[in-house]
Amino acid sequence: MRLLIVEDEDLLRQQLETGLVQHGFIVDAAADGRNGLYYGTEYDYDAAIIDLGLPEIDGITLIEELRRAGRTFPVLILTARGDWHEKVKGLNAGADDYVVKPYHLEEIVARVNALLRRAAGFAHSSLEFGPIHIDLSAKRVLLNNESVDLTAYEYKLLEYLMLNAGKVISKAQLTEHLYAQDHDRDSNVLEVFVRRLRQKLDPDQSLNPIETVRGQGYRFDLELASESSRAEI
Amino acid sequence: MTSSWPLKAVVQRSSGVQASRGTRYSLRARMLFVLSAVLLLFLGFTGVALDRAYRNSVEAGAAERLQVQVYLLLAALEQEAGEFFVIEDIQDPRYASINSGLYGFVYDAAFVEMWRSDSALTLSFSSRGQQTQPMPGVGESVFETVIDATGEQLFRFSYGILWEGIESPFSVSVVELAAPYFSEIRDFRRSLGRWLGGAAALLLIVLLILLRWGLRPLVRLSLELRNIEQGSSERLTAGYPDELRAVTGNLNRLIDSERRQRERYRTTLADLAHSLKTPLSVASGSIENMSNLLRYENNSDELDEQLAVIRQTLARMAQIVGYQLQRAVTSQSPSTLAVRVDVSTAVTELLAVFRKVYADRHFIVDSRCEEGLQFRGDERDLLEVLGNTLDNAFKYGDSQVRIIARQGSTGALEFYIEDDGPGIAPNQRDFVLQRGARADTLAQGQGIGLAVVSDIMASYQGSVSISTSDLGGARFSLYFPQPEIDGVRD
Repeated sequence: MRLLIVEDEDLLRQQLETGLVQHGFIVDAAADGRNGLYYGTEYDYDAAIIDLGLPEIDGITLIEELRRAGRTFPVLILTARGDWHEKVKGLNAGADDYVVKPYHLEEIVARVNALLRRAAGFAHSSLEFGPIHIDLSAKRVLLNNESVDLTAYEYKLLEYLMLNAGKVISKAQLTEHLYAQDHDRDSNVLEVFVRRLRQKLDPDQSLNPIETVRGQGYRFDLELASESSRAEI
Repeated sequence: MTSSWPLKAVVQRSSGVQASRGTRYSLRARMLFVLSAVLLLFLGFTGVALDRAYRNSVEAGAAERLQVQVYLLLAALEQEAGEFFVIEDIQDPRYASINSGLYGFVYDAAFVEMWRSDSALTLSFSSRGQQTQPMPGVGESVFETVIDATGEQLFRFSYGILWEGIESPFSVSVVELAAPYFSEIRDFRRSLGRWLGGAAALLLIVLLILLRWGLRPLVRLSLELRNIEQGSSERLTAGYPDELRAVTGNLNRLIDSERRQRERYRTTLADLAHSLKTPLSVASGSIENMSNLLRYENNSDELDEQLAVIRQTLARMAQIVGYQLQRAVTSQSPSTLAVRVDVSTAVTELLAVFRKVYADRHFIVDSRCEEGLQFRGDERDLLEVLGNTLDNAFKYGDSQVRIIARQGSTGALEFYIEDDGPGIAPNQRDFVLQRGARADTLAQGQGIGLAVVSDIMASYQGSVSISTSDLGGARFSLYFPQPEIDGVRD
């Protein structure tokens, strides 16, 4: 999951960046509104965290500009004052949730995860696709009620595919959303991960959860169980 | 201190009027200018109309007199073989004496003079006065002004007649000097001017007195404001006329709120400093302990405990700062100028926020806002009060939230915010709403949202109370008494 952080306070930005990277996100950080707008319109993000008090372009204008440019990714605003007037303004401008400073990193992570899940159209954090059960907040995967041991990258790949279940995801899209820019973008690595995932989730090859769409990419193909229904958007 | 600017601005504006009285017209100058222009126009038209009417009546009088003279002359006229003469003893003696000012003429149809009186022996008309145009028909008359050779103005009355035995008609004219009539008109005009001028002067004086009297409250207002600015008085006195009372009432409220604000800044700073001192000393004590622990023994349980203390105090400090910040954000000076905020817009905006933020929980939101409800006060305060209470309802509610806004029977603005959560136990209710006059008196772990609500409600002389909702959870009742503006209500 690729996140955009726009925060002018250097220490806070670095803390957020480190913390979110530790939680498995790919993070781009901008220190002012102008850069934030550049990143936000130039790259495809899964979510953005935007401070309201920004130099160059203030947070609310930034959100409005991003929405005007057709960016639909969820936006979490950070507000220092925390008064409702500001929250209302921010959410009316197109943000989706707010966190009041000072905050705990865990709170941000939880909010971002909820926004990502909601943006993908899922109402609950625990999803069941046939025998596969994924808990997005605990970042755990069960197969037939038994825990599946996944590496961080394998989990990220599976989570992304499941959140986009039914859609064909190209390899380029996967690398962009799952790898930091300076990482090796060898698509062979991706194929290795997909193969390992298939082995772990479908040892007897009866389920075929991840389909290869020739020349286009991969698609997570299992149906969502009815009790973990999709949210209305 | 942004709050002190309104008063300053007001005072500056009032002294600004004085400074620029010459360049930008004062109220008095404007009214005086317009009213005297109206006065002059009115008196001028009156003068012209009266003058014209008098002149017309004088001329009509002259014509009438000359007509009589024509009849008299006709009675004295005799004709024999085309020659006209007068019977001396019947005629007006003025016809006999030369240049007497009254002259008689007889003309034939071609306006050839047939006879003139003795008085007119030396009289000759200017070229324009030679002929009457058109010649009056038989039995008709013409009255006109003619000029003689010396430039003197004369009235001429001509009458057309048919003489027995002569076929063509004649005209008989009587001419009289116009000067006596004109001097009469001049006299009238002079006295008319005197009277109208006198009336104008009198009216202007009355006007000045009226203006002075009418504008006195404004002068008094600016004097009182200057006194307040210099600190020699506290507020504006009562007894202003109705039209100004709304302004003075608002000004007083502004002044009061500014004063309260100043006081509040002083105490807030003191409170903040005091309330931060305690957790700071706790934290520094813990750090001291930790460094001792690290230096002398390796007790990780102890260390964790001390870390927990520091974390707790940091949270506490964050809470205090948050509380004071929220207090700073809210205006604390309700209805300073009684701005109106549309209640249903505010509620709709807030509910849109909550629908987004609590999208996962699929709340059923029941919003009943009377149309056209207006809140008199700061929009931020309303948003803060409703936002915090609604947030509480969404946080603790299970699946239902209800908000009712309506105008109570006493005119107060009432809000009811309910949820279907676990509710708040009766013995906890006061505690939850406790105002933190000093933030460090807030209970540990207590959210600051509801304390801020209590604070704001108190500053509006309103009230907040908690009961049990028929939905099963808590029901918050908020009452805002609507401020009256010194008896002027609309």
